Amino acid sequence: MELHILEHRLKVASIAKERIQLFTYGLIKLAFLSSKTRCKFFSLTETPEDYTIIVDEEGFLELPSSEHLSVADATWLALNVVSGGGSFSSSQPIGVTKIAKSVIAPLADQNISVFMLSTYQTDFILIRERDLPFVMHTLAAEFTILRVVNGEMVAADDFGITNGFVKPKLVQRPVIHPLSSPSNMFCVTSLDPDTLPTVATLLMDVMFYSNGVKDSVVGNEDSGHIRFFSFSLIEGYISLVMDVQTQQRFPNNLLFTSASGELWKMVRIGGQPLGFDECGIVAQISEPLAASDIPAYYISTFKFDHALVPEENINGVINALQVSQAEKH
Amino acid sequence: MSGSKPDILWAPHHVDRFVVCDSELSLYHIESAVSSELKSGSLRLSEETTATLLSINSDTPYMKCVAWYPKYDPECLLAVAQANGRVVLTSLGQDHNSKSKELIGKEFVPKHARQCNTLAWNPLDSNWLAAGLDKHRADFSVLIWDISSKYTPESAVATEKVRLSTGDAEAGLVVTKPLYELGQNDACLSLCWLPRDQKLLLAGMHRNLAIFDLRNTSQKMFVNTKAVQGVTVDPYFHDRVASFYEGQVAIWDLRKFEKPVLTLTEQPKPLTKVAWCPTRTGLLATLTRDSNIIRLYDMQHTPTPIGDETEPTIIERSVQPCENYIASFAWHPTSQNRMVVVTPNRTMSDFTVFERISLAWSPVTSLMWACGRHLYECTEEGKASSLEKDIATKMRLRALSRYGLDTEQVWRNHLLAGNEDPQLKSLWYTLHFMKQYTEDMDQKFTGNKGSLVYAGIKSIVKSSVGTTENLRHSRNGFDSQADIIQYLSEERSLALQLCGWIKKGTDLDVEPFLHSLEQEGDWERAAAVALFNLDIRRAIQILNKGASFGKGDLNLNVVAMALSGYTDEKNSLWREMCSTLRLQLNNPYLCAMFAFLTSESGSYDGVLYEKNVAVRDRVAFACKFLIDSQLNRFIEKLTNELKDAGNLEGILLTGLTKDGVDLMESYVDRTGDVQTASYCMLQGSPSDVLKDERVQYWIENYRNLLDAWRFWHKRAEFDIHRSKLDPSSKPLAQVFVSCNFCGKSISYSCSAIPHQGRGFSQYGVSGSPTKSKVTSCPGCRKPLPRCALCLINMGTPVSSCP
Repeated sequence: MELHILEHRLKVASIAKERIQLFTYGLIKLAFLSSKTRCKFFSLTETPEDYTIIVDEEGFLELPSSEHLSVADATWLALNVVSGGGSFSSSQPIGVTKIAKSVIAPLADQNISVFMLSTYQTDFILIRERDLPFVMHTLAAEFTILRVVNGEMVAADDFGITNGFVKPKLVQRPVIHPLSSPSNMFCVTSLDPDTLPTVATLLMDVMFYSNGVKDSVVGNEDSGHIRFFSFSLIEGYISLVMDVQTQQRFPNNLLFTSASGELWKMVRIGGQPLGFDECGIVAQISEPLAASDIPAYYISTFKFDHALVPEENINGVINALQVSQAEKH
Repeated sequence: MSGSKPDILWAPHHVDRFVVCDSELSLYHIESAVSSELKSGSLRLSEETTATLLSINSDTPYMKCVAWYPKYDPECLLAVAQANGRVVLTSLGQDHNSKSKELIGKEFVPKHARQCNTLAWNPLDSNWLAAGLDKHRADFSVLIWDISSKYTPESAVATEKVRLSTGDAEAGLVVTKPLYELGQNDACLSLCWLPRDQKLLLAGMHRNLAIFDLRNTSQKMFVNTKAVQGVTVDPYFHDRVASFYEGQVAIWDLRKFEKPVLTLTEQPKPLTKVAWCPTRTGLLATLTRDSNIIRLYDMQHTPTPIGDETEPTIIERSVQPCENYIASFAWHPTSQNRMVVVTPNRTMSDFTVFERISLAWSPVTSLMWACGRHLYECTEEGKASSLEKDIATKMRLRALSRYGLDTEQVWRNHLLAGNEDPQLKSLWYTLHFMKQYTEDMDQKFTGNKGSLVYAGIKSIVKSSVGTTENLRHSRNGFDSQADIIQYLSEERSLALQLCGWIKKGTDLDVEPFLHSLEQEGDWERAAAVALFNLDIRRAIQILNKGASFGKGDLNLNVVAMALSGYTDEKNSLWREMCSTLRLQLNNPYLCAMFAFLTSESGSYDGVLYEKNVAVRDRVAFACKFLIDSQLNRFIEKLTNELKDAGNLEGILLTGLTKDGVDLMESYVDRTGDVQTASYCMLQGSPSDVLKDERVQYWIENYRNLLDAWRFWHKRAEFDIHRSKLDPSSKPLAQVFVSCNFCGKSISYSCSAIPHQGRGFSQYGVSGSPTKSKVTSCPGCRKPLPRCALCLINMGTPVSSCP
């Protein structure tokens, strides 16, 4: 398998919900007028708490600096796992499940904090730039590590760091943080960039102006709907995560849906904002899922993490994770 | 295509139909219409062609790309790929009873929806359709569909909930199981089948170009590159592939796939289409965004690239088919260099790229030019007079007549040259006289003055300063010769000899020369020479003879009469009339005669600068009548004049010296006659002139010319001739006798052995020690084979044969 270190240098930031109007000028440019910026990596996720932005340095320049923009104090690099050849059957579980054992767990063992972004097309594992040598050392055994330089793939140099590594202790990783599962069903989809202009106004509405609607929500997050929408435009590929109600506002046949048209339910992780330093959160969730071969998407935001699992598996997942949670006590 | 620019495609089998596709498919019929009137409903595409809309198909929304079914199909079957990755077969025909009816409406659905970027029909098996899709996680991005396959629910993703548009599935029109799946975890941006094999597919993937071999799908050959867009195989050279990335086109050779063999100059705007011309080899058309220009790259003369060093040359051109920006273009499949272009607002234009004209001279004065598939030849018209013939024609004829190869009677070469050029005649006589004299000198003094002779009269007279003796003449009709002084010296008579006036030595008798001139009918010249030798009676006699010879010129009698009235009285009427009327004489020699008779002693400008008198006669005259200083000045001046003019008569003065090469240089500049230059300079072989690089250049050029004419024998003759006169040009031995056992050259060893201090006698060599006979190989001492007749060992040098 190949591990690609992409050349984007990323910033992770959070915009307070009530101050979104300060940033819409830049965000619209990043999302819909990509030919006007040099930004290649842009992701916007709306949660009930905030808007989380993941953007490369070129794109970050489009945003005004403001007290309402909180930026995580690190530059992040995106990793991408590419399984080569036809050795994998097409019924491979998708999402973090696939990389739980090979990437997530080893990094958690080395106390390297990761930030996950699943899209329709692939999963990005974001790591701090300063952790790169440790990441490469940790994963070198499992992967062919390639670095993208000026759009071309080159073999990555090994930094030759060997000290400071502890032998991974093979311990159970119980789920530490509280979990919740909102009732909405989500779909992970995409659309042809050429058709983006035809739905731009709709997307702008969904992204920036649906707060006022206050659809029955807020307050009863544990049982009811939550506001969750994710838009990303990465290297020309669009990915959307939205609930079924939002999806129905789009014209037929415009969004890509897989032939099986599956729907997903969400597991929200965290009671208090998780911060960026704690390690092993993704591993805590993905390892039990991998053990039972359940596919999952995983989207980290500034404050909380979100896992998407198939609707029919949600109860099983919640149970499994709660068992793991109970082990802690 | 959905919201984007229209594309255009020619039908592969209906040469008069094409399709424009943007949000719908529009089939047009193109026809020639020379008249200015347009039929209703037709669009003008060019001055000669119009297009009529035949049908529109708007069944398929969100089209991404279209590919025309490669097999002949009256219904215009097309594969259309949609933004969600589905591939639909659709038709633009009206006849619903056709064979391909069951194919129409068939849909091929990938497991995960994503944009379809490219479609490619297999050129060999028209049931195979490859589709290149965007990346979707671990799914495959290259799907090869078999359009003849039926929907089989049990084999399809049975475990998944298939939510297909109802109805289609029941009609058996939806296929979800591809024949092959390739490119897992990757995106495919462009595709083309390789004509080499039905199962080879070239794909532009996310960051590499990959060749998939369907016989073994787990393996692929790939090269990392950014140039992954629009892969396309050269239809005339199946190992050559073009692909692009932003503004740059890369040309690949599949046999050497590591890196592009060529990258074309980068365009400032991103490219949108790159296509090889199907009707002409090595012509690549490229189009960039927002441009009204199609750029053409002609790799016609590109040698198949071998090493890294050979950067092949490409000819870049651009054409502008219309004023507006071009959205897309399509080469016509059969009509040469023809294409249609379509603009974003769907105006179309039919256009033929004018072929470059290339032109070449043949070595035999005909001209060829090629334009497209036409080849034109121009040859010399009729039989123009030989003087007007091109020098190449002349040289060729002269080469055939063995010009330059007569080394005995050197003067005869001017006859071989056609006996029509007075300069050549003068040149070869000069060379003849020089050679003759050198040979005489060789016999007499073992040649210490030989070099002087080839040096020409200019240096001869220089060396004569101070040795001149005066000679006052009174002979043959000149009653009083007080004022005519002749000068004599050994060098001057040598000069006269080179001029051809006298034979050899100090014998001043010009009678043989006059005799030969009379025989040639050159009366005026003969008379003039007689007169310049102060024999006025002989002159008159010659003129009379000339007047009476054949249907001779009666004027000569009149001239003889005038001549006979010569008086040396300074102020006589005769003198007065002669000096004025002589200018009206047409013949330069007659003119010079009277100039001589009427001139003051010591000032003979009327003779010396009479341009039409042969140089050799003027020089001979000067040698007779000018004092040393005058003579030197005259020769100097004349030499420079002739050098500048490139007049071959000047070789008489310069000889075959550096001056002579200078003169020959301006002659070659003027005429291009490297043949004469080569032969002439070879005559002066012992001297340094042959080492002059100009001379070597002429010789090499003449040899090339002979090669170009395919005159192999002539060239061999020339080389032999050359090596005789210039031993340094002898080619090295190319054939050796080598020993069968050790492989060493026997002749080489023969010469090498004595230096190694090994006598042959040691190794069974019999006979006298001076006459070495080799019986065994000097290298390995194995016996050499013998001749069956004479029993002499092979390898024995000819000279040492008994």
